[in-house]
Amino acid sequence: MSTLLLEIGVEELPSWYVRQGENALPELLGERLAAAGLDHGPMRSFATPRRLAVLVHELATHSRRREQARRGPAEGAAFDADGAPTKAAVGFARSFGVDPAALTVEETERGRYVFARREVGGEDAAELLPELLGGVIRDLPAPRKMRWGEHEFAFVRPLAWLVALLDDQLLPLRLAGLDAGRATRGHRFLHPAEIVLRAAADYPDALAAASVIAARSARRAAVLDTAGAAAAGAGLVLEREAGLEDEVTDLVEWPTGILGCFDADFLELPEAVLATVMIRHQRFFPTRFDQGNLAPWFVAVSNNRVPDEGVVRSGYEQVLRGRLEDARFFWDADRRQTLAQHAWALAGIAFHKELGSMADKVARVAQSTRRLTELLGASKEEAATLKQALPLFRADLATQMVYELPELEGTMGRAYALAEGLPERVAVALEDGVLPRGPGAALPGSRIGALLAVADRLDTVVGFFAIGRRPSGSADPFGVRRAALGALRTLTAQGWRVPLPKVLEAVAASFTTPSVSNETVAAVERYLWERVAGMLSDEGLPQKVVRAAVQGSRSVIGAGRRAHLLLALLPLPGFGDLLTLHKRAANLAKQAPEGVGVKPALFRDPVEAPLHDALPEARRGVERLMASARKQLPPWDLGRGPGQDLTDLDAAVADVVRIKTPLDAFFEGVLVMVDDAEVRANRLALLAEVAEALSDLGALRELEATSEG
Amino acid sequence: MRFQDVTMALDRFWADRGCVIAPPHDTEVGAGTFYPTTFLRALGPAPWRVAGIAPSRRPADGRYGDNPYRFQYYYQYQVVLKPSPADVQEIYLASLYHLGIDPGAHDIRFVEDNWESPTLGAWGLGWEVWMDGMEITQFTYFQQVGGIDCEPISVELTYGLERLAMYLQGAAHAFDVEVASGVTMGALRADFERQHCHYNFHHADPELQRLLFDRFEAEAQRLLGLDLLYPAYEFALRCSHAFNLLDARGVLSHTERQGYVQRIRRLTEACARAYLAPPVTGSAAEVR
Repeated sequence: MSTLLLEIGVEELPSWYVRQGENALPELLGERLAAAGLDHGPMRSFATPRRLAVLVHELATHSRRREQARRGPAEGAAFDADGAPTKAAVGFARSFGVDPAALTVEETERGRYVFARREVGGEDAAELLPELLGGVIRDLPAPRKMRWGEHEFAFVRPLAWLVALLDDQLLPLRLAGLDAGRATRGHRFLHPAEIVLRAAADYPDALAAASVIAARSARRAAVLDTAGAAAAGAGLVLEREAGLEDEVTDLVEWPTGILGCFDADFLELPEAVLATVMIRHQRFFPTRFDQGNLAPWFVAVSNNRVPDEGVVRSGYEQVLRGRLEDARFFWDADRRQTLAQHAWALAGIAFHKELGSMADKVARVAQSTRRLTELLGASKEEAATLKQALPLFRADLATQMVYELPELEGTMGRAYALAEGLPERVAVALEDGVLPRGPGAALPGSRIGALLAVADRLDTVVGFFAIGRRPSGSADPFGVRRAALGALRTLTAQGWRVPLPKVLEAVAASFTTPSVSNETVAAVERYLWERVAGMLSDEGLPQKVVRAAVQGSRSVIGAGRRAHLLLALLPLPGFGDLLTLHKRAANLAKQAPEGVGVKPALFRDPVEAPLHDALPEARRGVERLMASARKQLPPWDLGRGPGQDLTDLDAAVADVVRIKTPLDAFFEGVLVMVDDAEVRANRLALLAEVAEALSDLGALRELEATSEG
Repeated sequence: MRFQDVTMALDRFWADRGCVIAPPHDTEVGAGTFYPTTFLRALGPAPWRVAGIAPSRRPADGRYGDNPYRFQYYYQYQVVLKPSPADVQEIYLASLYHLGIDPGAHDIRFVEDNWESPTLGAWGLGWEVWMDGMEITQFTYFQQVGGIDCEPISVELTYGLERLAMYLQGAAHAFDVEVASGVTMGALRADFERQHCHYNFHHADPELQRLLFDRFEAEAQRLLGLDLLYPAYEFALRCSHAFNLLDARGVLSHTERQGYVQRIRRLTEACARAYLAPPVTGSAAEVR
């Protein structure tokens, strides 16, 4: 058993790739070791801006002996009329290094094929590893790679050095003009000298002694530790923000928290502005006083332990002062106009050449929200809020602050609204209307804000569909998919049981140029249901359940509740049989003449009336099931799941399943397609009612599918 | 260290590392990357090292001199090394040391910053270099220039000279930076900056700039037809500046803007192709 070390020294990686590489490297190495038959124990991954490394413990010294099989030509092409191997078969056998006589014929799903088998393994790990490791570095997945110097090789950033050690043995590995060696490097400034490793296992300690905390989790803890201590030293509490903590972790190898301050006058700026400037632009941690309000202090995490912290601190403070002065300049300048005045400028901001300006868009949103409130209802206060918020919606786009700090859109709408004395509920609606800001981001909390958000996002979706710019594949230059997901999440989280087609009609009606055809609305609806299906799959629901729920629903939350209900029903006793019978009934019912009701007077067989009599109970059972789903599954964030299972369905299910007995008897006892047209039509109508009675549970035919699709 | 001492120290440093110290190009450009000594020389196999101060104009960035960091006319220090040396980060840090900045006494970071120029058909990956939280240099490995894959790869270092000098002198505004003994940047540039801002934002005649763009574009195309690459490229640069003025004037719709960008890109890409494929026999210009 050996220990393997692979270290890829790089010029500074993008911080997000440090996180990605931490997992990608051991994953790919594990795959390649498995493919090579090299068994191993635990792996330990290290990732900093300057290195990705992995230690593999308990690595087998030789590859496992195992049989390897390869499929060759089809049997017909492998042997001639005399049963002798053809050229193709001989070539195949040779290429795999086996005697043509040893080829076997085996049955596969796609027919009978020739197979070659051989025993492999027993190779020395030290022999296999150099090429294997080179392949791992070459194939390490990354969204975008680069070249440098005169090398063909591409990586995330230029390679700076390589270490490849099997215990104390140096593995010969050459890539992009670099020879792997024993020498790693410590911290760029704190330990500039090379460190020669005696053996692979020495790696973690050697780096720790060279001012590098190589393991991400340890470094993250160190960041929080040193930053927290710097804040605590002044009696302050560090503002926690996961994104910032991750990013800072991946910008340093050896963190040192340094407390700095800014002029308390800047605290007149909204907290969101201060936090955005500190976090997004400078990667500084904001701090708070004990009582919770923001303090005029920040913590920067330096990658260097310097002789005089004062120099670095004053640099941080000067840069932050410049940024905050800019922000205050915008805050003051923007407030010289009211939001209503800023809204005029929306006419000069293009949304899209074929879809008009932002003013045009907001005007459409105003119309569609009015139609939506008719569908959804609004209290007097909500109506008043909407009336005040609509003319100001997205007006902050025209402010300098949002122009400079686009991530503050909505936040500034709220802040400027409050600053000019508008009611809190109006300000909140203005911010909520631009939520969610991305996948997984917070949803609007207020009902009116949610209404604005849905109208605004669906305006984007409908508009781009209308001008033929629907997203295709992964290309989505106008953010249509993001808008669609945001709208669907919001609709669900609000628990709005309004039919999706009605919502789309309301949005489509607000368009004049371009006009929106019925085909476009239908295409948008299909697209949205596909997204709903995708998000329900993300909740871990099987495909067939999702299909049944989506096809049987009109509202988005209805589809979600049905999907979870069907999942709960599937394993319950009798439900599977009921599905089979339902399918039979539904298939026959397709032939039922339109508009013909069931007439008990036309019953000719004693099994017909009991089935008819069982219908009300089945309907009640279905209603009770849906009511349970509504009660037990309050609105949730679509894609994340409601977070609870449905329970206590047995009584209601029993009511539904009870129809199985008369339905069984009906199919046993009568011939539906009798010659007497009146009796036949009556029986078909009865079956149509059976299918209809169950239809509120979803498109049950989808559940009959045998495969999981 | 006075501003002119900074540029002279950088000239000395990079000259010692084999760079041609090239004087500024005399056509308006938005950044040193547009210089023929960068854009064209990054193409093709020939090794190349160049450095020098690169005055740049970005009309839309002007703030009448009010903002300490943002100007419509400013100085970059531009270095191109082709092929990119394996120790380029160390060389760069040594240049800071040469300016009296001890990297060991500061928090210096290489933070991801990728670069793309739609008008040059160019992109690259690299960093912005932070010193104690302030961006002082952009560092880019060109991957594609003029729509053509680079082979070998050049690295471009662009120092923000005003910021660097502000830092070295502890100045709060670029105009407070001392350029030569007793002469500040503001004394040299404040009026120039303010007047150009008025021109860029309010008085530039959009109709004239549109007309100039069209004529410059036609001229560049005509010259390309005559295999006169360098004059053609200068007309492409003039198109770019006319476009920047129109943009600053705020008269371009989103679509129009895209249209102009594409037109400039077509010119620069044609120049890049012409640079790599010189006429085999006597050029058309010589024949006529």
